[in-house]
Amino acid sequence: MFEIILQLIINGLLLGGIYALLSIGLTMIFGVLEVVNFAHGEFLMISMYMTFWLFHLFGLDPYVSLVIIIPVFFGFGMLVERAIIKPLLNDPPLNQIFTTIGLGLVFQNLALLLFKADFRAIKTSYSNANLFLGELIVNVPRLIAFVIAIALIVALLLFLKKTFTGKAIRALAQQRQASMLMGINVNKTYSIAFGIGIACVGAAGAILMPLFFVFPTVGSMFVLIAFVVVILGGYNSLGGSLVAGLMIGVIEGFSGFFISPHLKEVVYFIMFIFILIFRPTGLFGRR
Amino acid sequence: MLSLSNVSSHYGDLQALRDVTLEVDSNQIVSIVGSNGAGKTTLINTISGVLPSSGGTITFQGKRVEKEPPHRIVNDGLVQVPEGRLLFPYMTVLENLELGAYGERARNELSRSLEAVFGYFPKLEDRRKQLAGTLSGGEQQMLAIGRGLMAKPQLLMLDEPSLGLSPLIVKEVFETIKKIREEGITILLIEQNVLQSLMISDRGYVLENGSVVLEGAGTDLLTDPRVKEAYLGI
Amino acid sequence: MTSFLSSIFDFVDQNKRVVTLAALIGILIIPLIPRNSFYQDLIIMIFFWGTLAAAWNLLGGFAGQISLGHAAFFGIGAYTSTILYLNFGLSPWIGMFAGAGVSIVVALIVGLPCFRLTSHFFALATIAFAEVLRLLASFWRDLTNGGVGLLIPHEPGFKNFIFEGKLAYTYIILIMLLAIIFVTYLLKKSRFGYYMVALREDQDAAESLGVNITLYKMITLIISVFFTSIAGTFYAQYYAFIDPDIVFASHLSIQLALLSIIGGVGTIFGPILGACFLTPLDVFLRGWLGGVLSGLNFVVYGLVLIIAVRYFPIGIFGWLKKITGKYIKKPTYALSTAGGGETGPIGERSYRPPDEDTVPLIRVDSIGKRFGGLEAVKDLSFSVYDGEILGLIGPNGAGKTTVFNLISGFIATDTGSIRFDGKDITSLKLPHTFCKEGIGRTFQIVKPFQSMTVLENIMVGVFNRVGDVKEARKEALRIIERIHLSRQVSMEASHLTLANRKRLELGRALATRPKLLLLDEVMAGLNPKETEDIIQVIKSISREGMTILMIEHVMKAVMALSDRITVINNGMKIVEGLPEEVAKDKRVIDAYLGEEYNAELK
Repeated sequence: MFEIILQLIINGLLLGGIYALLSIGLTMIFGVLEVVNFAHGEFLMISMYMTFWLFHLFGLDPYVSLVIIIPVFFGFGMLVERAIIKPLLNDPPLNQIFTTIGLGLVFQNLALLLFKADFRAIKTSYSNANLFLGELIVNVPRLIAFVIAIALIVALLLFLKKTFTGKAIRALAQQRQASMLMGINVNKTYSIAFGIGIACVGAAGAILMPLFFVFPTVGSMFVLIAFVVVILGGYNSLGGSLVAGLMIGVIEGFSGFFISPHLKEVVYFIMFIFILIFRPTGLFGRR
Repeated sequence: MLSLSNVSSHYGDLQALRDVTLEVDSNQIVSIVGSNGAGKTTLINTISGVLPSSGGTITFQGKRVEKEPPHRIVNDGLVQVPEGRLLFPYMTVLENLELGAYGERARNELSRSLEAVFGYFPKLEDRRKQLAGTLSGGEQQMLAIGRGLMAKPQLLMLDEPSLGLSPLIVKEVFETIKKIREEGITILLIEQNVLQSLMISDRGYVLENGSVVLEGAGTDLLTDPRVKEAYLGI
Repeated sequence: MTSFLSSIFDFVDQNKRVVTLAALIGILIIPLIPRNSFYQDLIIMIFFWGTLAAAWNLLGGFAGQISLGHAAFFGIGAYTSTILYLNFGLSPWIGMFAGAGVSIVVALIVGLPCFRLTSHFFALATIAFAEVLRLLASFWRDLTNGGVGLLIPHEPGFKNFIFEGKLAYTYIILIMLLAIIFVTYLLKKSRFGYYMVALREDQDAAESLGVNITLYKMITLIISVFFTSIAGTFYAQYYAFIDPDIVFASHLSIQLALLSIIGGVGTIFGPILGACFLTPLDVFLRGWLGGVLSGLNFVVYGLVLIIAVRYFPIGIFGWLKKITGKYIKKPTYALSTAGGGETGPIGERSYRPPDEDTVPLIRVDSIGKRFGGLEAVKDLSFSVYDGEILGLIGPNGAGKTTVFNLISGFIATDTGSIRFDGKDITSLKLPHTFCKEGIGRTFQIVKPFQSMTVLENIMVGVFNRVGDVKEARKEALRIIERIHLSRQVSMEASHLTLANRKRLELGRALATRPKLLLLDEVMAGLNPKETEDIIQVIKSISREGMTILMIEHVMKAVMALSDRITVINNGMKIVEGLPEEVAKDKRVIDAYLGEEYNAELK
């Protein structure tokens, strides 16, 4: 019994790392621009497809393709911010919500058009490789995904803490008016923050691909998890997203095992609604 | 150094500033006084580019700035210490100060500026790792001014620095402002505390309902009964 | 040409009943027109989506609560009636109402607490909620047959809600559509409709006028959910097959919103217009493109959504209204004095200064409020007596607005008590209850309901005591005359000058028939003439016996109007008394101008 629990914890944590990376992008976007990116899942889907095709057309290992995907998605994010998000920043919530939903719809169905509804997967030489720690099995792709996710998150947190641009982003999230008076170029900083958020999603997609399938609506599955993580962690706390991501990974594993694999989502959705109602600032959120 | 000529601004169709004309010469301390709703903060935010002007010109060191974005105005050397301080509450004293020196010009001199600021406010140096939101009112005001100084201003604008502070601290604040002027920085002071601000000013302007109703040398205005009238309606 | 159109609109306007009847008959004939099964199905789909969109629009467009999980109630309706029918033989007609009942109960339990979430979070909660139901429906095989779905056998009969051919279904869904349009129309024309717009535009202002926001949102929720649910039953009966991925689908939720947005959010006919426009488009797109380019239609929808939301926020209906606006005559009202500005001679007031035995209208004892580390108001006590004008002054940051918010119910006091009109109101929680008790207020930054006319704004205030629309309009017109806004009666509030907006705010608060009127910096931003005008209006209101508490910075006004003045600084009372005394009081001068000002001057 004990081994089972430990195994569940390990699997949960490993997956949770990816959830954390996915969600941190969402938290950044919401914390700095105060926009909820309903199309977040579709960016993940695009990244997974890109990883898939890079692998199939050029034989590029998914973890290696990170080198391409991260900058590409950063640029992609900045572009979307300039073109679509920026005009929305002062609009009523209805406009913001439906614009990003519309964007998600467009992406999702373009994918459907181009790639059809087939499930696609990647098979690498180490797809089924496992490490053995005593009785415990650690799946290699999961482990690599976890390590990369944590590394990227730590890098991001360091960036925000130590660099001027990072501090500007944090400042903007805390006090918009004063940021303008510091000589911070607010528009540019918004673009960068959004770009970083999307880059995180891109990275999450790349490391997720070896573990899962891609199909046009895969984004919808994961985006809801991301929202739960963001709210649980605290919608303006990046550290909170990290912790919450790991927690949700573990909770999901336990629910899947002890209750039912089909109902594991129900557990965290119900948590989600409860948190929104009773403690909207989550575990680590402020205000 | 700074001159406004017939500056107007609107909030929707409400006219907040009407044909404001004023001058700040190098190394002066100029005060703008007026009761609430007179438009003082609107004026200072219009100068900083945060609010758009709907008419008139603003010239800083020979350059027209009324259409410039806020971050460029700061980089030119026209810096505002906002009303209510507006610090970054979850960042440390040090981080707040560093952010003050965000602009390119200021960033090159960051460590020197930091030293200078700690010279003005030794208490801040003791508390550099403390979160800004946890400081006392007086310390927060010092930090806000320090943050402004980090931007290497030629002209420093302070919006109601005495707001919410006890009389003793207010005296300290005004002493500091005088010291800053002695270092060669020009000061534009927006204040409700008429006495203290006019006492240290070379020149003063009284703002009422978005227009300049009175102007003159600081000492002259102090004895002008019309100032009291503007405040107390007698 | 234009005169031709004008005369058509005039004709419609004068013969409303006949035209409506004719239109109704025309609509009822529509189902009989198509001969072809394909077109019959199209008509059904248009009516169907129109009904669903109209139901969504009630909550999303009128009440401003954007739900992205309405599929939840659609599915509950579909499954409840179907399960009851298949397992217990219960007629789906009854099952339909049972389903609606379940939906309503669920909506209240989950939806009510979610109302206080901001829009984004509310939308997220609804998405999560619909998903939970979809998963539960897939999983709970015993109840719902899981992902396999439920099939309704074809056994025609009225009791079974199953019919041969499509005609009966067409009429059924048409009746549902007409029902929701009718209900929406009734609501919109009544006090409810005015409250809805107010609520959507500015919740705080609405609360201050006595609108119980939660109650109205709840009513809207119930009606919206009801119609969504019965449409779900209809769907089940028409298609005879349901499964979780169809009825709880997230893109169904999005589609409802899409139809309303394209057609015109917050309008009665917008959703149907949207359905008329998009449903055939959808069907034809899918027909032409077949399976080859499946998904293209949604790409188009997505793009349409992005563009519509940004560039056509008023939707098709709004656009139609704009074009035809010039031909529709504006209503005129019989008002005695045109113009604003002049007032008759001011008579004497019957106000008498209070003595020790006079019981004050409002008595505030030791109230206090702490925000984090800052004590904004500390141990403050004062009273306002019947019929007097009390001025509350103090430097910036003294705590005056906090005091106002404490007395009008927007924040709760930490300490002390508030007695109003003989009643202890300290523990009342919501602003609208304060209004009901008789405390009316204005806001420092005026909050007119921008899209409503002056008349409609005032009516919202009147509705606090008057339920009937016609009566309310009459009273509103009277008030408009009193505050000299007669010339602007049909003008949209967003087009008013600042001075007139302040008048409007004053008039609106007055319309609630308060016993105590709180005026929050009414003079701010006005030029001397406008200030003088408003002073006259306030004087005339006071002359009629109104008790007024005013916060002001414009000293001329305070001195001219106040019977007594209370001065606060740093959250505490420092001086209280007659205007002349207060103006000369050294402590007041210190507080405003800085210590030793007078001394320096000498």
